[in-house]
Amino acid sequence: MARIPLGCEPVIGSLVPSKKRDYRVTNRLQEGKRPLYAVVFNFIDSRYFNVFATVGGNRVTVYQCLEGGVIAVLQSYVDEDCCGLDGISEALLEFSICFVDQKDESFYTVTWACNRDGSPFVVAGGINGIIRVIDAGHEKIDKSFVGHGDSVNEIRTQPLKPSLVVSASKDESVRLWNVHTGVCILIFAGAGGHRNEVLSVDFHPSDMYRIASCGMDNTVKIWSMKEFWPSVEKSFTWTDLPSKFPTKYVQFPVFIASVHSNYVDCNRWLGDFVLSKSVDNEIVLWEPRTKDQSPGEGTVDILQKYPVPECDIWFIKFSCDFHYNAAAIGNREGKIFVWELQTSPPSLIARLSHAQSKSPIRQTAMSFDGSTILSCCEDGTIWRWDAVSSSSSSSSSQV
Amino acid sequence: MASKASPSPSASRSGSLKDASMAKADESAPVSKEIVSVIESLKRHVVDERCVSIKERMDNNRHKLASITSHLQKLSKERRNSWINFADSSLDLLKKRQDDAIGMHSGIGTSSSDKDSDSDQEDSHASTAVLLGTSIPPGKNSVRPIRLPEVKKLPPYTTWIFLDRNQRMTEDQSVVGRRRIYYAQNDGEALICSDSEEENVDEEEEKKYFLESEDYIIRMAIKEAGFSDAVINSLAECFSRKADEVKARYESLTKEEKTSVDSLNVDSEASSLNCFLEKDLEAALDSFDNLFCRRCLVFDCRLHGCSQDLVFPAEKPPPLNRPDLDNLPCGEHCYRSVSKPEKVATDDSPELGDTKDNSVQPSSGSAGTRTSVRKKHTPCARKKAKPSQSESASSIVKNMSDSSDSEIEPQHTASTSHLSPSKTKLGGNGGVSQRNSKRVAERVLSCSKKRQKVVGSDSDSVASGSVLGGDGKLSSSPHKENEDANSSSQKHAKSRSRKRELSIQNLQGEARDGISSGMVTDPPGNNSDVTLRKDDCADGNSCEMALNDNLSWKAFEKSLFEKGVEIFGRNSCLIARNLLNGLKTCVEVFQFMTQGDKRLAYQAGDAANSLGDGYSKFEHQGNNEVRRRSKFLRRRGRVRRLKYSWKSTAYHSIRKRISERKDQPCRQYNPCGCQTACGKECPCHLNGTCCEKYCGCGDGSLGVPNQRGDNYECRNMKLLLRQQRRVLLGKSDVSGWGAFLKNSVVKNEYLGEYTGELISHREADKRGKIYDRENSSFLFNLNDQAGWFVLDAYRKGDKLKFANHSPDPNCYAKVIMVAGDHRVGIFAKERINSGEELFYDYRYEPDRAPAWARKPEATGSKKEEPSHPSGRAKKLA
Repeated sequence: MARIPLGCEPVIGSLVPSKKRDYRVTNRLQEGKRPLYAVVFNFIDSRYFNVFATVGGNRVTVYQCLEGGVIAVLQSYVDEDCCGLDGISEALLEFSICFVDQKDESFYTVTWACNRDGSPFVVAGGINGIIRVIDAGHEKIDKSFVGHGDSVNEIRTQPLKPSLVVSASKDESVRLWNVHTGVCILIFAGAGGHRNEVLSVDFHPSDMYRIASCGMDNTVKIWSMKEFWPSVEKSFTWTDLPSKFPTKYVQFPVFIASVHSNYVDCNRWLGDFVLSKSVDNEIVLWEPRTKDQSPGEGTVDILQKYPVPECDIWFIKFSCDFHYNAAAIGNREGKIFVWELQTSPPSLIARLSHAQSKSPIRQTAMSFDGSTILSCCEDGTIWRWDAVSSSSSSSSSQV
Repeated sequence: MASKASPSPSASRSGSLKDASMAKADESAPVSKEIVSVIESLKRHVVDERCVSIKERMDNNRHKLASITSHLQKLSKERRNSWINFADSSLDLLKKRQDDAIGMHSGIGTSSSDKDSDSDQEDSHASTAVLLGTSIPPGKNSVRPIRLPEVKKLPPYTTWIFLDRNQRMTEDQSVVGRRRIYYAQNDGEALICSDSEEENVDEEEEKKYFLESEDYIIRMAIKEAGFSDAVINSLAECFSRKADEVKARYESLTKEEKTSVDSLNVDSEASSLNCFLEKDLEAALDSFDNLFCRRCLVFDCRLHGCSQDLVFPAEKPPPLNRPDLDNLPCGEHCYRSVSKPEKVATDDSPELGDTKDNSVQPSSGSAGTRTSVRKKHTPCARKKAKPSQSESASSIVKNMSDSSDSEIEPQHTASTSHLSPSKTKLGGNGGVSQRNSKRVAERVLSCSKKRQKVVGSDSDSVASGSVLGGDGKLSSSPHKENEDANSSSQKHAKSRSRKRELSIQNLQGEARDGISSGMVTDPPGNNSDVTLRKDDCADGNSCEMALNDNLSWKAFEKSLFEKGVEIFGRNSCLIARNLLNGLKTCVEVFQFMTQGDKRLAYQAGDAANSLGDGYSKFEHQGNNEVRRRSKFLRRRGRVRRLKYSWKSTAYHSIRKRISERKDQPCRQYNPCGCQTACGKECPCHLNGTCCEKYCGCGDGSLGVPNQRGDNYECRNMKLLLRQQRRVLLGKSDVSGWGAFLKNSVVKNEYLGEYTGELISHREADKRGKIYDRENSSFLFNLNDQAGWFVLDAYRKGDKLKFANHSPDPNCYAKVIMVAGDHRVGIFAKERINSGEELFYDYRYEPDRAPAWARKPEATGSKKEEPSHPSGRAKKLA
C-alpha cells in the first residue's frame, strides 16, 4: 500500500495503559475441549443484560453473570449430529451419501434476537451453514434456516428491530433473515458482492438500511437495503411458507473500501464510522465517504488506529460495550486489550493478561457497562474479568 | 491504507515522518536550515490540524452515538416491560433459570460447595464458586443439554446469480492482477500467500494529485521562504515528488488563486436549465445508439457491450397505422374536434370547390382543387414507390418523396374523410430514417439542385393559383380568434395559395420524373426562422402567430415531432399521444405540422423565385453541418465502431462476432435451404450454427416456426428460441448438487443452455487456479472457433452448471453459433426419463482432468477430493 499522504495520517493510540480501569480475573470455566468461537451478551432485553451465550463445537450454552465473579449455566443446547453413524459400515455409507457431507456441527457464531412478542432467541450458525434459532424462553429450537451454501461465519442482530438478523457466510453471501417469520429476505451477493468468504457483518446502529460486511477478499462493503425495504416490511407479516417468500438479491453495495491488504475478519459500526480489523495487529477506525452520484465509489478516511500486538491470525473478533465506549479484543497469546474507542487519541484502558491464559482468544464480550469482560478461547475456556479500579459496586453487571 | 511495509503501527507513525526528515537532513545540508525548519513547522502544523479535526469528528460522532445508544437502551427496557405485561402468564424459562440462579447464588453465598465436574476447578485466583447446573434437577451439577434435532445440510455451493443468457465479464469481476490469499483448511490458521508467479500488483498509482495539505505547505513555504530552487527542491523531497512537479503545482496554485476571485462571480449564473427538454433529441438518440443492443433488444447489453455497429436495414417498416381510429377524435384536444366548428362556418366551401374553378376565390375552393390534383397524381406515386423498395438508394429517396406526399394528407382528412384509403397507403411510406437521410444528404443535395430548377419553372406557371382558405382554416387554433383568421386569410390568400400550388406542382413533377425533392428532409425547426424572416411578414397576424408557436416548441419537442412523423406518418393524434404526451396537445401538434408545411412551401417558393439554387443549398449545408458535428461528437470517446455505408442492406451478411475487436473477419453465415424440418444433413446443423430468420426451414419470422406436425418443426432453433426443458436442482446421487430433468425427453432433444460469464483465456487461467483449490470448476471452453472466450458459470449461470460429470453420460454439450454468438447447448444423448439426473462428459483435456474425473466411476464427492490438479481443468464441448 502506498505511503500515507501528508495530512491524512491516522491518530494512533499508544500502548501504554491509562489505567483508567483495571480488570481482574474472577472466574474461569472449561466448557469443553473444542474451541469456543463466540461469546456474546444479550443487549436486546434489559432483563437479560447479564446473560450471555457461547458457542463451540456442537454446543450452544447460555450463562449468567452473578455477583462476585460467579457464572451460572442456565441452558445448554447440543446439535444432534451424525456421531451415531460411526458404527455404520462403509458399505452402508455409500447408499446414504447425504450423510457423508454432514460433518459435526461446529458453531462459529451466536447472537441474541427476539421475536415480536419479545421472547428471547439465541441464533447460532457454524460450519454446516444452518442457522439455528433457539427460543430460549421455551428452551426449544424454534427454526432452522437452511440456505447458506457453506459455513456461517457471523450473525448479528438489528438493534432497532431485533427480529432481523444478518448472517455472513463462506458462500460469499450475506443474508438478511427474519427470525419471527423465518424468511430469508435479502441476499447480498452477486456482481458487486464479496469475492471470497464473508467473515463479518454488522448493522448500522441507527440507519436501519445499512450494513457493513467484510471478508477474505480484503474489502469492507457497505450495503443499503433502502430500495428493498418493502421486502423487509413484508417479511414481518409473511404467513405463507418461508420458502415461498420472494427473496431478492442485492447485487451492488453502496461502498467498497479497501482499507486492509489481508483478510478482514471483524467490522463494527461506530456511529457513522467503521471499525475493522485485519491480521495487521491493529483495529482501524475509518470514515466511509460515499458519493451519492456514483454508488460503489468513494473514499476512505482513516481516522484512528488501535494497535493490538500479536493479533496476526484471522478470526479474532472484538466487541464493544453497549455505549461503544470501549472495545475489548484478545490476541493470539491469550491477552486482552481494552481500548477506549471514542477518545482522540485513543487510549488503552488496560492490557489484561494472566499466566494461564495462553490460548488464542477468539472473541470477547463486554457487558452493558463494560465492567465485565468475557473471553472465549481456542482451548475451550471462558474467562471472566471484572473491573476493580473505580468502584467495586460496578463490578456486578446486574441490572 | 494499512501499510504492509510497516508491520508495527507505532513504527509507521513516526516512520513516515522521520524517514522524510532524516533523509532531508542528510541531503539538504547545502540548503539553508531555515527552509527546512519552515517546512518542518508547516508539516507539524498540518499534522496538528489533522489531529484536531479528527478529534472534532470523533466528538461529533460520540454525541450522535450517545443519543443512539440511549435510544437503544430505552428500547431494551421497553421490551422487558412489554414482555411482562404481555406474557406473564406464559412461562419464560430463561427468566426462571435466571431467578433460580440468583436464588441459589444468594443461598450458597460464597461457599464453594457446588462445584461442577465439567469445569476444572483449579482456578485458585477465584475465591468464588462456579455456579453451574442451576435448577432442573437440583442437586445434579450440570445442565441437561437440550438437543437440537438434526437438519440436513445443503451440499456446499457459492452463492450464484441466475443468468438466462451469457454475459461478458465486466472489468471489476476480473481476478487477474489481484492477490488472493488462501488458508490451509487443515492447518487452520496458516496463511498461504497466493501463487508466486502471480504478477506483482501494480504499485503504480503515482500520487498524481496534490492533496490539500500539500498545497498548503507549498503555498506557505514559498510565502515564507521565497520562491527559489532550494525551496522547491526541499519541498519535493518532503513530498517525495519531483521538483518540477512541485513547481508546476505552485504555478497552477497561484493561477487558481487569481481566478478563484473571478470565478466566484461567474459561478452563480450557470446551471439552471438542465431540464431534459433543453436537450437535443440527437443527444438522446446518441445514448440509444450506443447503449441499446440491437441484437438482444435491451439497453446495456451485458453480452455485446455498447457502441455496437449500427446496421440500417433497407426495408423500413411502415409507420404505425390505426385506420379504425382515424376518424375518431383522440381526445378533447384533438384537432378534429377543434376544427369542426370552423368547418361548419365555412361549410359552403366544398360545394364551391367542386367546381374545380381555378379562378381566385377568397373563401372556397381549396379543398376541392387539392383533392382533385391529389387524386390524379397519387396513383402514380404509389406505383413508383413500390418497386423502388428493392434498391436502397432510390427507395430512400422515394421514401422521402412519399413523405412529402403525405404531408398534405391530414388536411384532406380533416375536411374530407373519403380520402382516408389513399392516406393509409401514402402514410405508409412516409417514414424515413433520419440516418438514412444523412447518408443520402449529398445525393439529395445534388438532386435538389435540379429539382429547384424544375420547381422554379413550374411555380411561375401556376403562380396565380387558386387556392386559399383551407390552410387558414385548418391552422387556426383555439387561441387564435376567428376574426384574426378571417381578416388575415384575406390578406395572405394569394401568397398562401401560390405556395400550396407549388408543393403540389412539386409532387407532380416528382411523380413524373422520379427525382426526389430535397426540401422534405429539412426539419421544420431548423429553417423556420430563416424562412419566416425571409417572408416579409406580409402575412400579418397568422404569420406572427406561427412564429410564436414555433418558438414555443423546444428543440427537443421538434425533433420528437419529426420522429413522430417518421413513425406514425402525419397523424397528429398518434404523435401527440405517444411522443408528446403531456407536452403538446393534438391540436398543437397539428398546427405545428401544418405550419411546417406552409413554411416548407414558402421556402420552396422563395427558393425558386428569389434565391434559386443557392438558397436551398445553403439550407442543406446548414443541416449537414449540424449533423456532421453531432456525429463527430458521438464518435469521439467511444469504443471503436464500424461504419457501414448506406448501401449495406441485409444485416446478416455483415455480422461480426464479439471478437470483432481483433479485426478478425467472420465467416459468412449461409442460411440453410431446408424446406422442412432440419435434420442431420442441414448445413446449419453440420456447421454448428443455429437456423435463423433467413433459413428455409422457418417461415421467415423469428417466432416459433410452423409446427405442422412434429416432423415439420425445425429442431435446430430451440436454442435460439429458448425452448428449454425444465431442469430441477437437487442433491445429486453422486456428489454435491445435481441437475435433474423434470419431464422425459427423446434422444438429441435440446435440454437447455449452459450460461455463464464470458471470460478471456488469461482470466480463465487465473480463475482456474482459484477453482482448483476449491475443487470445483465451472469453466467451459468454447471451442477454438470461438477463439477468445471461456464460459465461467461459477458465480453466474444457470442450473445446468450443476450437472455432474460422468464418463458415461446421458447428455452432451455442443457449442452452437446462435445469431452470431457462440452458445453452449446441452442435448440428450439418449432417451432420458423424467426425474433422471443429468450427466455429461466434461471432456477434460486428458492430462488436466481433476483426479475425480479420471476415475472410472465418480464415487466420491468432488469437493472432498484432496489432491489439487496442476493444470487448469476446463470443460470442453
